[in-house]
Amino acid sequence: MIPEIGQFALALALATALVQSVLPMLGAARGNALWMRSARSSSIAQLVFIGIAFAALMQAFVVSDFTVANVVENSNSLKPMLFKIAGTWGSHEGSLLLWVLILAAFGAGVALFGSNIPDALKARTLSVQAWISTGFLSFLLLTSNPFERVFPPPLDGNDLNPLLQDVGLAMHPPLLYFGYVGFSIVFSFAVAALIEGRVDAAWARWVRPWTLAAWMSLTAGIALGSWWAYYELGWGGWWFWDPVENVSFMPWLLGTALLHSAIVTEKRDAFKSWTILLAILTFSLSLLGTFIVRSGLLTSVHAFAVDPERGLYILGLLGVTIGGSLTLYAWRAPSMEGGGLFAPVSREAGLLINNLLLATATGTVLFGTLYPLFMEALTGDKVSVGPPYFNATFIPIMLPLVVAMAIGPFLSWKRADLKGVLQRLWFVAVLAGLAGLATWYLARGGPVLAYLSVAIAVWLLIATLREWAVRIRLFDVPTAEAMRRARNLPRAAHGMTLAHTGLAVAMLGFIGSTAWKSEEIVFVQPGSVIEIAGFDVRFDGVETVRGPNYIADRGTLAVSRNGDSVTTLYPERRSYPVARSSTTESAIRSTLAGDLYASLAEPASETVADQGAWTLRILYEPLVNFIWIGAAMLVLGGGLSLSDRRLRVGAPRRASRSGPVATPAE
Amino acid sequence: MLWVLFAVLAVSAVAILLHPLLKADAASTDRQEGAVAVLADQLQEVDRDAERGLLSNDEAEAARIEIKRRLLKLGRRRPARGRAEAGGRGALWASALVVPLVAGLLYAQLGSPGIPGVPFADRQEERGEQAQIAELTERLRERLQGDPEGGPTEGWMLLGQTYMRMGRFAAAASAMETVIERDDAASAMLSQYAEALVAAADGVVTPKARNAIRRAREMDPSNPAASYYEAIALDQAGDSEEAHDLLVSRLEQAAGPAPWMEIFVAQANRIGEAIGRAPVNLAAFAPLAGGAPGPTPDDVAAASEMSAADRAAFIRSMVDRLADRLAESPDDLEGWLRLANAYGVLGETAKAREAYEAADALATDLPSNDPRRQSIREALSELGG
Repeated sequence: MIPEIGQFALALALATALVQSVLPMLGAARGNALWMRSARSSSIAQLVFIGIAFAALMQAFVVSDFTVANVVENSNSLKPMLFKIAGTWGSHEGSLLLWVLILAAFGAGVALFGSNIPDALKARTLSVQAWISTGFLSFLLLTSNPFERVFPPPLDGNDLNPLLQDVGLAMHPPLLYFGYVGFSIVFSFAVAALIEGRVDAAWARWVRPWTLAAWMSLTAGIALGSWWAYYELGWGGWWFWDPVENVSFMPWLLGTALLHSAIVTEKRDAFKSWTILLAILTFSLSLLGTFIVRSGLLTSVHAFAVDPERGLYILGLLGVTIGGSLTLYAWRAPSMEGGGLFAPVSREAGLLINNLLLATATGTVLFGTLYPLFMEALTGDKVSVGPPYFNATFIPIMLPLVVAMAIGPFLSWKRADLKGVLQRLWFVAVLAGLAGLATWYLARGGPVLAYLSVAIAVWLLIATLREWAVRIRLFDVPTAEAMRRARNLPRAAHGMTLAHTGLAVAMLGFIGSTAWKSEEIVFVQPGSVIEIAGFDVRFDGVETVRGPNYIADRGTLAVSRNGDSVTTLYPERRSYPVARSSTTESAIRSTLAGDLYASLAEPASETVADQGAWTLRILYEPLVNFIWIGAAMLVLGGGLSLSDRRLRVGAPRRASRSGPVATPAE
Repeated sequence: MLWVLFAVLAVSAVAILLHPLLKADAASTDRQEGAVAVLADQLQEVDRDAERGLLSNDEAEAARIEIKRRLLKLGRRRPARGRAEAGGRGALWASALVVPLVAGLLYAQLGSPGIPGVPFADRQEERGEQAQIAELTERLRERLQGDPEGGPTEGWMLLGQTYMRMGRFAAAASAMETVIERDDAASAMLSQYAEALVAAADGVVTPKARNAIRRAREMDPSNPAASYYEAIALDQAGDSEEAHDLLVSRLEQAAGPAPWMEIFVAQANRIGEAIGRAPVNLAAFAPLAGGAPGPTPDDVAAASEMSAADRAAFIRSMVDRLADRLAESPDDLEGWLRLANAYGVLGETAKAREAYEAADALATDLPSNDPRRQSIREALSELGG
């Protein structure tokens, strides 16, 4: 019965979205306050009904109700409870349900917390949000119904892909979706502004918290995803330039550009048209990502062609959304008034460079991601575009960006004194150079690019801290006075410092774990000792252990350094009999300086398996944890900025001029 | 109960959507005033920053002038509309009422209100039965394996068939594999073995399965299962025309209706659609098959909502109905066969034998190679022994 409640609630949500697509938009056009206000209740209704549907599906997973086809395919009665719950969004249908749930959450968020946003803008924005909602809810109900039933129910389910059976991954899609889908509301704001024909400083400020919220969760989602890949896949890498990663990274890059260009719109009334375009493109890339991941295009263009219904539906949605919004943009954007002027050296110019480089970087990633798909579709050849392409194109764009990023915050608006700024920064440059040299002295080896990158990361780190110190006049005035100034600094300023510092920290992690990684892949027998990065790792054999729904071979590795015992690692290979597949559980000794990472590959061969010979993969990745510490700082920085009270300034609220009570019933 | 909850959901949808009507003192915010408020805040911020020394006096002054200029420009801008339009309550009512209507139509297309939710924890009994079957199967396997003479062929086939029903296709194939090379291996055994192999390979006819199909067809060219899997193999190898021809020609050879014909027709039409052949109709090959009375869709739907005890009683009543009907018109061979089969399922062997005997009497008029005669004989020998 409960699955049917979910089904009906979903149908109600679609019907509500249809009404919300029309009524508030008409209300805004005709100045009808009642119709505009209806956006608020229908947004909330959508969230409530999609929430009920989601809860119903989750209930089916929790109690293992195998009358629901989706539960049969993606769960199993033996699965641990946490992963039963995560199974709710583990499948195609479930993840789309989560998608629309988050879409509705952002809509309802604006309805509930956007009291500073003028009625007409809010009504239009929520109507546009309902257009997206209508598209995806109908996609869900017509091609991917999560509440499809089976009767009589099979005895048990077919399990969730055990690779996905992981705490990090259980939490990953919700966060990633929160970011990805969160940009929908920014898109809706942009389209609403185009319809309204008005983009100004106030618009930029009203949109900012929503952009920040989406950006933060996308950042967290991507970081969590790479963390998962790092410790679950057993390859020791944290980023593979895999299409699934790329499609989440592209909205992040453009979203970052948007975050910065919106500052210029807010402060100087400039970059308006560009900001709107970025808002449209960022969400378009999110949609493209959904299309690529959800259409099955990635597995193979051929597989897509065999069962094209779902893919074509999303492709149609994609075409209508992107094509429609860009047409609207082409039509309305030229009429937007230009904003404040600025000199070639100024904060605006710095942010322009940021935007151009980020957009170019997005372009290279987009090309590398789509090229293989087009090639396969056109010629039938499978080509793969891997890390060499991305390293060769992406890094040369990002390094100048980071160099400029350190200078940007020192520049003043309109016209800046570059010479003065560089004078302030020369000693930072010296320190950065010294850091590069020191690394070379310590590491002696690795590519030249790595030393350059270390120097640039240190440059960003120190310059960012220096900028903060200048702002609060640390060292110029007594410390107590400096601290008082720090307290008075707007939270957004602290947020920027934290986020920029976070990027520098993460960069050190990227460089350290890539350039100075040590890796050993060896055959081992009990008693074998492997030396790596100053550690002695002794293999003590493999035993079989049982988990709740898997059987594992667990290796024991005694780690010591200079004869002193450091730790014992237990890498596992788990096999899941129900799903007939296996996973690698790496064992990691994590420290700030670096990770010692061990994973167990298959027995060396069938015949010698009895003698305990195994293939072992051991890695040492210096500074790798800096990546996630840096990512956490980025997210916290965004959070600080979001908490800035200035983001809540809006119009004073006042009683409606024509309250319904005053007018008798029609 | 379900419909009550649907009604509650629908009513709450309408209530939420009508909520704007209640908000008598609803506040409204104007675009113009909003923009002014933001600029005023920016102005204050410049003052604060200048006070704190974050901005030099010149910078602060420039910023103030710029913001004030923008404020002035805002003031010149005419509001888009003088007065907000009131009313429009009718449209709100209409749209609120449309929502449950549209949702109801959608649900009518998508929903399955008759299917109850069945949590795993409520299926102890079913699992118990399954566990019992699994245990019996295990015992059978042990007995067969322990047999010094290798175990009887029928025993291994029974084990394989049981595994098939449990969905353990690979186990089924390996059980049958033990006996298919024996001298008493029949065509039907080989085609069952092939079926297990295909099921274990997720529907792909492997070379091993193809081989078994070939042998089955050599032993008995009319074996429907072997013809069926041969057609699947041909289709998978790209010879869809040949596959279609094979299915249709086997249907044409059929003497009278048989249960396998339905799936042949479905498969032929599936393949035919891809290669542009006109669909075939079951009635063309077996005039009797379409008309046989059986449980109606309503009966099935009713049965699916019952408890296990009710369901047994329901099935019993259907069987009794059939038995009564046959007592009145005893010339219905298909009817007797269905009744016999039903008694067999219910475990009433004596009644099953009676029904088969009645069928056997009618079957004497049939040609000697009719598959029904063979199945009656097999059933009787099974029940008799």
